Amino acid sequence: MNQARTDAAITNRQQQGVSIINVLSRFAPVIFLFVLMAVFAIIEPNFLKANNLLQVARQVSITGLIAIGMTFVILTGGIDLSVGSLLALAGMVGAVVAKGGTANTLSLTTTESTGYGVLAAILAAVAIGVLGGFIQGTLITRLGVPAFVVTLGGLSAFRGATLLLSGGGPISGFEDAYEWWGKARLPEPDGIPVPVIIFLGFAVLAHIILRYTRYGRQVYAVGGNPEAARLSGLNVKKILLSVYVIVGFFAGLGGFVLSSRLGASEAVAGTGYELTVIASVVIGGTSLFGGEGNVLGTVIGSMLIGVLTNGLVLMNVSPYVQQIIIGLIIVLAVGFDRFVKSRRSV
Amino acid sequence: MSRQMKLLFCCIALMLTMIAPTLAQDAGGGRAMTDQEMAIAAAVAECPMDESITLAASVPGLNFPFFVHMMNQLVAAGEGLNAEVIQLDGQNQSTKQTNDVETVVNQGVDAIVISPADVQALADPIQAAIDAGVPVVTIDRFVEGVDGLIAHVGAENVLGGEAQGNWILENYPDGAMVVNLQGQPGAGPAIARNQGLHNVLDAVAEQYPIVVEQTANFARDQGLSVTESILAGMMDNPPDVIVAANDDMALGALEAVEAAGLADQVAILGFDALPEAIARVADGGLAGTVEQFPGGQSSTAMSVAALYVRGCLDEAMVGQTIFLTPVLITGDNLNLAERIGEVEGM
Repeated sequence: MNQARTDAAITNRQQQGVSIINVLSRFAPVIFLFVLMAVFAIIEPNFLKANNLLQVARQVSITGLIAIGMTFVILTGGIDLSVGSLLALAGMVGAVVAKGGTANTLSLTTTESTGYGVLAAILAAVAIGVLGGFIQGTLITRLGVPAFVVTLGGLSAFRGATLLLSGGGPISGFEDAYEWWGKARLPEPDGIPVPVIIFLGFAVLAHIILRYTRYGRQVYAVGGNPEAARLSGLNVKKILLSVYVIVGFFAGLGGFVLSSRLGASEAVAGTGYELTVIASVVIGGTSLFGGEGNVLGTVIGSMLIGVLTNGLVLMNVSPYVQQIIIGLIIVLAVGFDRFVKSRRSV
Repeated sequence: MSRQMKLLFCCIALMLTMIAPTLAQDAGGGRAMTDQEMAIAAAVAECPMDESITLAASVPGLNFPFFVHMMNQLVAAGEGLNAEVIQLDGQNQSTKQTNDVETVVNQGVDAIVISPADVQALADPIQAAIDAGVPVVTIDRFVEGVDGLIAHVGAENVLGGEAQGNWILENYPDGAMVVNLQGQPGAGPAIARNQGLHNVLDAVAEQYPIVVEQTANFARDQGLSVTESILAGMMDNPPDVIVAANDDMALGALEAVEAAGLADQVAILGFDALPEAIARVADGGLAGTVEQFPGGQSSTAMSVAALYVRGCLDEAMVGQTIFLTPVLITGDNLNLAERIGEVEGM
């Protein structure tokens, strides 16, 4: 009798332990984010002000958008290093369409728009992103060149195309409708910034697609075990091609939003974004080996990087030290995630 | 290039040499030329230039508008000197620039004009070029530990930083709170410009405290996001002046300051006098920007190289450092800005 009760108690305790680990493993990135925010809030009260938090959300919205697309790619076990360059090219093409040419002389007089309007600019930017993704995806799936190599080539080639198109200089001076997408808030003046709405809207959409559609399950299947996916009749090449088109779409959209936000398209835009984007996805719990992860994690990962950068600047930490701290926290966040996940299987 | 075109360039070159002495007095729209520059211009006027020479022009990276302008100016100067110019883009990598230098030395170029990406990494290939009998002129950026340079032509970045500091002392006689946006950590110009600002402000730190000092890596998007974060912590007591180590960061900071509704309270100083910044100085958005005359540097450096190759350079001038004096461009002296012609309606 006694023995039985003790056994039951032990089992109970074990179950509790397991469930805590389960909760931890599911929400590790969120917990990490809140701990970090709490630390910053204690040290610097201005951190928690609504306006500052909305600014952080807006700062991460562009790399966040691309990170949504990158989540699809990484879920299949792939990688895309070209996103920063593709973003710059798409933003530049959008600007050229909006201005009706590459003339980048700055006018002090009222800008008469001779271009094709903001909707054409958005379509052009997104089309360039999709096209870039399609070309890379085709090379990866048809020629069998590793994604790392193809997109490394894209990283260089898209940047070169941007420089060629713009002659190296920036294009600026857009009409208000163009800049609305990056600068406006709903409602004005203290509401939610438009880039944040775009970012979160697409995050929800991507989450639904990955979680609740057949296509979404196919993406996981291809990443989890491509051979099994192929044998079970999935068109693996088509799915792989599609994820590079998706990340291209988001890079194109991000290029337009960044151009709109800055009021200028620059040939140097997005340099190094690929690292921030990949870090956001990985911090969010998506495995670089594919088959495991989700978009909500990626959103949290993006916010975590934004909060870190913002908080460290607010506290006026030396820029040199900042780089060390950011590096350590990225490793720590992913390490924590892996640790609780490994405990779950016990 | 067709024969007629070559002939045309020769004619233009000849005409330029004839009018060079008159140009010397007020080149750059009223900018005062130094004695060294005048001596070089005079030597160019006397040197026979019938025989075409080949000069290599190498810049750290054509992804920066500043270096695109410099390259264009180098090429233009080459045309005036009857020199064919081989354009080399270092793509912001010391290794790429090293390879470029080695290639043109093997190719048998007459001289090299180079703005080294790194003060040390480029020392070896430049020394090797000199040892192989190819004369080298450095422009804008130094290289350390090289013997036998024909000349270094540049603007003293420290003086530019001091010009920013002095503007603050003059315009805020009762003291000011200063925010310092630094350039890319470790880059030569970032260190020197920061040094210049500190040279002026550190002595009067009680009245002119640098309350926040952060890097925005010379990039516009980071200038924007870092300034947003800084201002979030200082809304009750905003800074008087934001000093940026280049125009891209200053333009990003301007977006943040305008969005925060502080445009009337916060003055922003940039650096490099890019056309966009000149336009914003003209309309009052920026308080000022430092002009380092990259065009003047370029023509001087190319002239020195061409003179040396043709045996026209005075012994006494070999191995000199030729500095152009930087000027802070404000609303009062816009006509001194080298690239004002690129701003429409001015």
